[in-house]
Amino acid sequence: MFKFFRMFASPWALKKAGVLNMNYRNFSIIGLHNSRRLYPLVDDKVKTKELATTVGIQTPRLIGVIKAQYEVKNFLQMVKGWKGFVIKPAHGSGGKGVLVIKHYTQNHFRTASNKVIKFTEVYQHISNVLSGLYSLGGQYDEAIIEEVVSFSDQFKDYSFQGIPDVRIIVYKGYPAIAMMRLATKESGGRANLHQGAVGVGIDIKTGKALAAVQHNMPISYHPDTGADLLTLKVPDWRTHLEIASKGYDMTGLGYLGADIVMDKELGPMMLELNARPGLAIQIANQKGLVHILKEIDSYPKNLSFKERVDFILR
Amino acid sequence: MFKKLAIVRWSLFVGLIFSLLYAGFGIYYKQHFLNFTWEIDKKTPVWTIEANLKFKPVSENVEIVFSRPIVDGTFKILDENTIAKGNYTVQKKDRTIKLVGKNLKKTQNVYYRILLYDTVDAKKAKKENNPPKIVEPLFDDETMMIAKELLQVAKKEEGDNAQKIIALLNNEEATELVQSFLPKRTKLKEKAEKIVDLLALENIPARVIRGVHLVEGKKSVTADVMIEAYNLNEKKWYVYNIETGKTGLPADFIVFQKGNASLVDVIGGGDSSIKYSVLKSLNSSFSMAKHRSKNADIENFFSYSVYNLPLEQQNALKWLMVFPLAILVVVILRNVIGIKTMGTFTPMLISMALVETGFLKGLICFSIVVGVGLFIRMCLSRLNLLLVPRISAVVVFVILLIQIFAILGYQFDWQVASSALFFPIIIIAWVIERGSIIWEEEGFKNAFKEMLYSLFAAIVIYFVIVNESIRHITFAFNELNVVILFLIMLLGIYTGYRLTELKRFAPLVKSKKKLKKTNKRGGNV
Repeated sequence: MFKFFRMFASPWALKKAGVLNMNYRNFSIIGLHNSRRLYPLVDDKVKTKELATTVGIQTPRLIGVIKAQYEVKNFLQMVKGWKGFVIKPAHGSGGKGVLVIKHYTQNHFRTASNKVIKFTEVYQHISNVLSGLYSLGGQYDEAIIEEVVSFSDQFKDYSFQGIPDVRIIVYKGYPAIAMMRLATKESGGRANLHQGAVGVGIDIKTGKALAAVQHNMPISYHPDTGADLLTLKVPDWRTHLEIASKGYDMTGLGYLGADIVMDKELGPMMLELNARPGLAIQIANQKGLVHILKEIDSYPKNLSFKERVDFILR
Repeated sequence: MFKKLAIVRWSLFVGLIFSLLYAGFGIYYKQHFLNFTWEIDKKTPVWTIEANLKFKPVSENVEIVFSRPIVDGTFKILDENTIAKGNYTVQKKDRTIKLVGKNLKKTQNVYYRILLYDTVDAKKAKKENNPPKIVEPLFDDETMMIAKELLQVAKKEEGDNAQKIIALLNNEEATELVQSFLPKRTKLKEKAEKIVDLLALENIPARVIRGVHLVEGKKSVTADVMIEAYNLNEKKWYVYNIETGKTGLPADFIVFQKGNASLVDVIGGGDSSIKYSVLKSLNSSFSMAKHRSKNADIENFFSYSVYNLPLEQQNALKWLMVFPLAILVVVILRNVIGIKTMGTFTPMLISMALVETGFLKGLICFSIVVGVGLFIRMCLSRLNLLLVPRISAVVVFVILLIQIFAILGYQFDWQVASSALFFPIIIIAWVIERGSIIWEEEGFKNAFKEMLYSLFAAIVIYFVIVNESIRHITFAFNELNVVILFLIMLLGIYTGYRLTELKRFAPLVKSKKKLKKTNKRGGNV
């Protein structure tokens, strides 16, 4: 019994550590800083892409959008000439419904987790996307087809299949906290922490690893590759921060999560923005978010994204 | 922005306080005027007193006069009527009810029936400023002597004057003196009259009061009697039981007549006999509420309350009224405890079905149906159907499945299987669909977990809505639902930690020492 209670932390201790909780995030952070009318800018990935291009943020190139069921059967024509492609629901969240095809022939498609699937399965996946299975409100959706990021070899040892990405939370335009998400065998090549992916807290000033967790518990080595997670350093960190900071300028969302991947040739690219980024990033950093947000409240306003990043890196 | 939040918080608190005041007032009001109680099944006894008069008409016109009970706050009348076959006209007056019959031939049976409830003890004596005249008893000399002697002896007894006389006359070992004044086996009515006479000799005004003792199933040919004596100093009437001398009008005695007038008069009839019978029935507080409102002069208010609706609608509302509480539980489970369930109100719908099926039976049946459904859904996914037709197919499968269950349940008398009928098919289909998607996307463990949490929430809600006392309270005192509304809104601004987050974020505040240990373990993998 005593042991059972030891699993819980006292709310006062958490408060002292500045741990941001779900109710507070929804009510006081998102509710106050993210106006609902701005949501479509990030909830619709086609719009996000267009916007990103206008402010000069690199994103994976768009191959095409499938809007109606009758177009699904022609998707192979659409991706003609591309080595691989990614299918995403335009209104998806949390990586739901993302299918990465690395290579393909007429009837065989190799996914990110090296599984080979058939044409009908890809066809059904797109159909499911269109019927809204993965979209936020369950409404009819569109399927985005975009290029596969050829991810940088630098992270090869750190991730079991899948593409590692960096999540940066931006508060009032200032990058506040960051983590890298690494797929594991258990997470099936996905970068979702609650499915068993590894989260690595990244120092916002240097891009170096601070701490790593899997299933909420601290670890030091990648469970599959054995790589020392604490030696991890994100290259071109300043660009990462600038992309994240620009996300604020382009959407106006006071609290947002930017997902960034590293392309072998093109450098950091923005995958998507999220108006309701999760709280697990605190665990990956072994650090609460509230104190950081409070500090940012005192930072100067009306700076450009470059100045904000300078301010963070000062 | 934060100023706005303070206003919201403040106004919600004020709202909560007002709703509490409103509920408190409503509860007091309903308890006071409509006799609603916290306990369930508190029944109100309703007494039926029936006077059955039998007579042979001897003249063309027959007049029957029944005394009506004296309503002085010790009971309330629910209904009052007369039943007579033949050519009668009825006149209702303040104190009497008169039937006039014409051209009657056969032996007549006339009923006067009165239904009353909320009988209470009349503890206080009645005040009356003008003392009534004393009627000197018409005793012959011998009796007068005995009476005076009796009064002398009576002084040795305890109590006030009336009680002394009553005690003497009721003495087990009756002396010769008493015997000669009041032979044994005298009718109670005469005994009462004698007591009144004796009191008159003491210059105390007194009278016989007659009525009916409320004893379930009683049948009697005479009315019951008590006496009332006037206290000249206090200017008050005191009621006495002529057997025990106890004062005060008990709750189970209904006064019909005071003084010597008779309870029933028949003019133009002969060979008459009367019989009183008493019956007790129990009515729910809700069915009595309407009559109570009539008596309390709040009928208008009452006609617009739920308790004036047809019973069927009341029963439906009884179910509806418990849901705000169930919803509050859902909000607490999700926002304060932090349990993740499939859909916000799915657990509530499951728990509604559980009420119909019975707890264990329903749980087993639900698990089996969902289990089989998941298997079917797995087979369906191989067909690569589109989403909407696929869910629809699952719905149809669930319907067929439920049909099979019902047939099997009936044939083999498995009540567990029969309960499948009560589950909402659409909900089951959605649970299956969501379950299988989570299964595909996030693995069996997560799907099972989420289903288990949903079931847990359903069980918690089940125990809230299945409780009859809770249902009774939320219906009888439905203003509590306004309080619940404000509580729900207040939870809408609760920004503290959820219980599950205390566990989730626990690694953030645990000591460094422990962290190192887990680090090592992580490194060994």
